Amino acid sequence: MPKCIKSEGQAIDYASKLLSPEEEDPFKEHLKNCPDCTEAVQSFRTVLQLTDKAQAELRVPELALQDIEMNVYKRLAAAHEQTLLSRVRAYLVNFGSLFRWQRTAAASTIAVALITIALLWGELFSPEPEMLLPDTQSAVARIEQYRQQHIQRNLEEAFITHHLRNDAWETESRLHRMKEHAHGTNWTKVADDHLQNLHSGH
Amino acid sequence: MFIAGIMDKLIDDEMLVAQFQSGRQNAFDELMKRYKAKIFSYLLRSVRNYEDAEDITIEVFFKAYRALDNWQPKAKFSTWLYKIASNLAIDYHRTKGRHPVYALEDLEIPEANLVATDLHSDPVHQVEEQERGRIIREAVDQLSPKQKAVFMLSRYEGLQLKEVAETLDMAEGTVKIHLHRAVKRLQTLLRPLWENNEI
Repeated sequence: MPKCIKSEGQAIDYASKLLSPEEEDPFKEHLKNCPDCTEAVQSFRTVLQLTDKAQAELRVPELALQDIEMNVYKRLAAAHEQTLLSRVRAYLVNFGSLFRWQRTAAASTIAVALITIALLWGELFSPEPEMLLPDTQSAVARIEQYRQQHIQRNLEEAFITHHLRNDAWETESRLHRMKEHAHGTNWTKVADDHLQNLHSGH
Repeated sequence: MFIAGIMDKLIDDEMLVAQFQSGRQNAFDELMKRYKAKIFSYLLRSVRNYEDAEDITIEVFFKAYRALDNWQPKAKFSTWLYKIASNLAIDYHRTKGRHPVYALEDLEIPEANLVATDLHSDPVHQVEEQERGRIIREAVDQLSPKQKAVFMLSRYEGLQLKEVAETLDMAEGTVKIHLHRAVKRLQTLLRPLWENNEI
């Protein structure tokens, strides 16, 4: 039996629900009398159903998403620090090469070098750091804000899992997570106290 | 603060970008909140490695933050974000292609950690389902990078073909061709398996 002259693309678009209403209606009519296309549409639908189901299984757990914002701000803060460091390094390299050139010239150019240094010093610390600082401060403030949120959330979750679900393993893991975020603050003691109570069965 | 949070949810992405550009930092937090799960899922499907998907998600928002000051609303914000993610995923595949670090087993997603387990479910059935899912995802991995990107973006990220074209810098007609080839290729790979009841 000869294959239908309609393009396979149309069958794929129909199965994928990508046809416009003007294209879809005539194709539906065509399907009534074309076993080739009907079979093709059915087969493409099976492909899409199978892949949809397999892909839907790849879910990202909520827990993994919690740290994204904080890590983005950490990345931003680190990049700003790097920018400042590289600016200082570039400045020192420029200064060094300037100095070598002066060494080959006469001693009188030392005065010129001093003026140049003063200008470069002004360049380094005037407009751009002013632009960078608020961003750096903002990133640090955001990291702190998210850290506090994580501490609170994990503490609340620890209470819920302990008192409502009676899940000791999850409670302990939440408290450890809280302790991790609370490093260097008094909250670590709170976490330790709860862990101790948990282990002693209170 | 609470009212501002509710207001943020009602504001569209482009308005939030405008607010961020005029100095309101919280607008970027709201954008991250809206898109982190979508971008993470997209990257997880693309790179098939949990930790790398997380790292690239952070990199996407890092790049977006740095470029947002000069962003012009020529396309939707979400399309632009997917474009950054797609480019980073392509870079990732290129690097891994040149320097294969992991064996295939290492690239497996720790599915036990990703799929919620039910105490009453049948473990044998669950293992079979996981195996079936793995085989199908491996078939998707056999698509060319462009076919895979088009298939993922149009099928799972809810992007219109026009938006997929903008994201991947392709003509809309080219997107359709890649999509047709992708579905046809998947049919060739999967049909013998479902006809033999293997999936």
